[in-house]
Amino acid sequence: MDVYVDRGVCRVVLNGELDVETVAQLQEVVGKVEEHTLEVDLSGVSFVDSTGLKSLLDISNDWRQKGGQMLILRPQPDVAEVMRLVGLDRLLAQNTAPGGEER
Amino acid sequence: MQRCLECAKKEPDRPCVECQYFVQLSPLRRVPSPPVRVLLEDEHGRQYPARILVLNTTEFGLETEAPVPGRYVIRLQENLWVEVAGVPFKGKNNVHVFDILCVHRKQGTARRLSREEYQLLAGSAGELIQEISRHLPEHLQDLVREKLLAEVEKSELINALRVGKVMKYEGGRFRYLSGQADLDLPMEEAEKLMRQAIRQAEHRREVIISADGQKVFDLHGVPFDHRSGGLLAFDITEVIEKERKMHQQEMQAYREAIAAVTGGRLYLVNSGEMEKVISEGTELARGEVRQTHDIPEARRAMREALPVLDSRRQHAIALCLTEALANALKHAGGGCWQARQSGDTVRIIVQDRGPGIKTSELARATLMQHYSTKNSLGCGFTLMLYYADHLYLNTGPSGTALALDFGVVPAGRLKPDKTNERG
Repeated sequence: MDVYVDRGVCRVVLNGELDVETVAQLQEVVGKVEEHTLEVDLSGVSFVDSTGLKSLLDISNDWRQKGGQMLILRPQPDVAEVMRLVGLDRLLAQNTAPGGEER
Repeated sequence: MQRCLECAKKEPDRPCVECQYFVQLSPLRRVPSPPVRVLLEDEHGRQYPARILVLNTTEFGLETEAPVPGRYVIRLQENLWVEVAGVPFKGKNNVHVFDILCVHRKQGTARRLSREEYQLLAGSAGELIQEISRHLPEHLQDLVREKLLAEVEKSELINALRVGKVMKYEGGRFRYLSGQADLDLPMEEAEKLMRQAIRQAEHRREVIISADGQKVFDLHGVPFDHRSGGLLAFDITEVIEKERKMHQQEMQAYREAIAAVTGGRLYLVNSGEMEKVISEGTELARGEVRQTHDIPEARRAMREALPVLDSRRQHAIALCLTEALANALKHAGGGCWQARQSGDTVRIIVQDRGPGIKTSELARATLMQHYSTKNSLGCGFTLMLYYADHLYLNTGPSGTALALDFGVVPAGRLKPDKTNERG
């Protein structure tokens, strides 16, 4: 997991699998972020389960409450499909960047 | 003397105690058999023997020499007596309707019989309880009756109880008192129960299956003193069978509804059917999950064991396994999984020994998106229903088993024009 900070934007680049086992790591990292905009780059994530999606939703809600925004970047097609199936694409609609342009 | 015209026309020689004219026909009208013997006492203390031929919660049909009209008291128990008034124009010969004016109890008075009192007089359990308590030392009678009634009420079996047997236990021997004489009780178990009840000086209840497995008995042991007690036995075989049938019918309705809603993809199966589902095909891999860390491990082990598939299918199977295992971990503290293959179908099976999904929750848990009984996204089933071709679910108090089928075409057998799916 890599974290880049640049002019009020924090980009967290995830790799591997985001599931019931790894969500705690993501939450720990994100908990230290103080920037206005949080970008979660999913291009390196091959697998997300419902627990992973739940934590993305929770983080997004947190950010919105604090007046900031969260963007989800470049989910792979399989991951994007799961997000669509559970309606997360709609819940995150206003701050989800188009993704899946590359694999 | 009043005549019931309707009955007189139809059957002139028969008394009409059961006809509508006499005591209003309602679900609560009962004809105790044999009639309950009571005493009517007038305000001067004169007593008239009477028999309760028919009753509901507000009226008695009594056969008595007592003058009608007139007000009387009927003592049913130490702390329970009923004030009645004869209705002069309802009845004939010595049979008349008596309105219940007031029911006096230890706890207060009422205008009608309570369910317990009514059943005490009307139901077979009431008769049995009366019967058994007749042989009790006097200071115990009311207490035991109260307790037994409460217990029988609680059992919810009262309506289906028809046969029973009452015995007295003293000095290691049973003596038949009343009820069904040929009821073949498991005497060894009954004696154990009686010894416990007497030793602990409290009412004991147990449901026992006969040695041949054919009969189910509801046994109540009531201590009288430090060396004797009463045994009350009900044959509840039919009741159990009835409950089982009702449960089956309920499940069948659920099965059909859920299969219909899911386009025939989700099946609720019984444990026998699940056994079959679990044993088909050949095993590819298996494992156990006790903590979150075991879930990615299970995914890895399963991926390695699967034949080479297109990546979308591979992903779907991994996701469904994860969701099913996460459910098992969350609701049952863990479980075991296996992957099996039979022809072009890969079957993922996850089993746990948790408390199961309640029947009342079943439809919502499996069909409603974002419905979760625990704090989670509640979309595990949504995803599994989307990706799996068929789902088999068996759930109950001893655990849950879920099997998911995925039609697969091994990559080696893909036609050239489809191989572009693998990037």
